[in-house]
Amino acid sequence: MGNLFVKKAKITDVDKAILSLKTQRRKLAQYQHQLEAVIEAEKQAAKDLIREKRKDRALIALKKKKSQEELLKQVDAWLINVEQQAGNNAIKAIQGEINMDDVQKLMDDTEEARSYQDEINAILGEKLSAEDEEDVLAEFENLETELTLQDLPKVPAQSEPKDEELVLPDVPTKTPVVSEVVVEGAEDAKRISAQRKVMEEPLPA
Amino acid sequence: MDIKKAVKDTRERQVQLWKELILDYCRTHKIFLIPLEEDFLLFTNPLIQRSLNHEAKEVFLSALVSEGRAEWIDKGHKKCLILWLRIQDWADCILSFVKDNGLEDSVMTVEEIRTGIESRGTELHGMDHNVLMRALKLLENKGKAAIFKGTSADDEGVKFSV
Repeated sequence: MGNLFVKKAKITDVDKAILSLKTQRRKLAQYQHQLEAVIEAEKQAAKDLIREKRKDRALIALKKKKSQEELLKQVDAWLINVEQQAGNNAIKAIQGEINMDDVQKLMDDTEEARSYQDEINAILGEKLSAEDEEDVLAEFENLETELTLQDLPKVPAQSEPKDEELVLPDVPTKTPVVSEVVVEGAEDAKRISAQRKVMEEPLPA
Repeated sequence: MDIKKAVKDTRERQVQLWKELILDYCRTHKIFLIPLEEDFLLFTNPLIQRSLNHEAKEVFLSALVSEGRAEWIDKGHKKCLILWLRIQDWADCILSFVKDNGLEDSVMTVEEIRTGIESRGTELHGMDHNVLMRALKLLENKGKAAIFKGTSADDEGVKFSV
């Protein structure tokens, strides 16, 4: 009996429209994640196929990736559209009117996206636009170069040549003395006595 | 002191400690369902190669069920829903969230409450769908919320009127 007089919040058409838009936004966001996963998978597949030297299959994978990226752009645009409509709903609610056709159109657009996705999968065998073809080939070449560089063997690290070991005499411990030499000639005798004299003189303080 | 009473006290203390451990562990890791017949990290210690047997698990979880902190999902007691917050507490948590984010008289999808940007960093983020619906129904019975369907079957919304 306690719940008999409970006043429930009134649900208006605007509320239902907001709910539809929010649900739409969530579904589109999920779809985005799916597409991103597919794009990443196709890129990886292309890399593997390039490694296996299967150019034709690698190009198909890259074409798929390209088409998914185009679709992702479209989903992004739809999301922006949903956000704008959700923002407009506040104003429309104040004015007490909402164009339900817009909401319905948006929902139809998403259905269209699904069928467009199926269509793309069917068309994949056929050619993309010339510009897209160029993009795909450019990406193929980039991947090929990247993988070639990755697969190159590493340059062996050269061991630096060791310095030749020099055999040096031990450091002298005694005071050097001029050895006794048998002198022939007076000039030589003078020179040697002068040398000895210099060595024997005390150093100036 | 009577030996039987000592054993009984020890047993009760053990059950109490396990109840607290289960609730804290589930709350920290945001776990709502405990499967009894599958490996569950809390009930296994690989370092000492020991794990709780089925009977012990059932004893501890049944103790939580008797306090309203858990519910058996099936008759065979193979899965247990852990309510580390009671349904009433979850309802209060939702109301606080609505007030904190200025969502009074706003429409939200049920998914938005448990996985949306606004709920990040709150207890509500990643919560069990069934528990959330029960908490919302409790709020609806109190006139604090209105649950409604959109144009497609999976459109599930709620409008708060705090």
